[in-house]
Amino acid sequence: MDDCSVIQGNLVSYHFATASDDEREAVEKHLVGCTACLRTYLALKTHVDRGARERDHPSEEARQRLRAAVEARFRATPARRLRGWLVRPVPLYQGLAAAAVVLAAVALGPAIAGVLRPPPAAHAAQRVDTARPVAESMTIY
Amino acid sequence: MDSDEALYARVKQGDLRAFDELYTRHAARVFGFLRAQVGTHADAEDVFHEAILATLESHEVEFDRGSFRTWLYRIARNIVLNRARSRGRGAQALVKLRTGDEPAPGAEETVARDEMLRALDGAVARLPATLSDVYHLRSSGLSYDEIATVLDIPLGTLKSRMNQMVNVLKEELKPWTTAR
Repeated sequence: MDDCSVIQGNLVSYHFATASDDEREAVEKHLVGCTACLRTYLALKTHVDRGARERDHPSEEARQRLRAAVEARFRATPARRLRGWLVRPVPLYQGLAAAAVVLAAVALGPAIAGVLRPPPAAHAAQRVDTARPVAESMTIY
Repeated sequence: MDSDEALYARVKQGDLRAFDELYTRHAARVFGFLRAQVGTHADAEDVFHEAILATLESHEVEFDRGSFRTWLYRIARNIVLNRARSRGRGAQALVKLRTGDEPAPGAEETVARDEMLRALDGAVARLPATLSDVYHLRSSGLSYDEIATVLDIPLGTLKSRMNQMVNVLKEELKPWTTAR
């Protein structure tokens, strides 16, 4: 079994996953059988993972100040709600479905229009030229 | 459970409950990250406030280029850097030197575990800014991909910095790990 000092020297690199494969294997083997080193490792891991957040937090006043600023900046107005609705992300399947509907309308539109168009009248009404006489053709006496 | 991105969209429509949920999920870690970057608690709160609002207001946030969390850390870090630049101190000055945490010299006896952890804090505080960023972002739970996006560096560069960071910490912790 490796010496405790060697193992403890490698605990930091083990924690940050920069240890070599051999070092990592040695640490893991050692920790299984050495309670003292295991406790040291757990203390180190907890200490690093928690970092400063366990010892230092933003104050409640800071939180309230930030919350008020967010509220003022993003106050829910009808216009903002509408904009949110308009620019909301649309799932892929909904987009594809909408595209399929548009393509179908484009492809089938002329055919449907042809079916719905009324048949030509058998005797079309005689066209009457209702245009007014052209001024230049009239003679003024 | 709604994703961060869904909550983000709801906040922008004025849903404060969505804001509360996002705050609960990320505030402590982001603040911890900022607290390690700036000198005082009050400064960290200012940057924190600015970063959250900037993330919510930004028109550049696109979730196909990173998660909400990635954007939040990225914007927070940029604010920190901009502040440092505007004060003319440069990014290197971001590292807060906590000389009070330096290990006691000549310690030859076996040290308690909490002493080693304090030594770790001191070593982290002395990391250069590039390595300190890596340490705190990784400790905040970000993946390698996310960290590379936040820092705007290639993955290979990130891995290299991660190795450097670990080697520095290992070296600094040697007196405590070899004393046993």
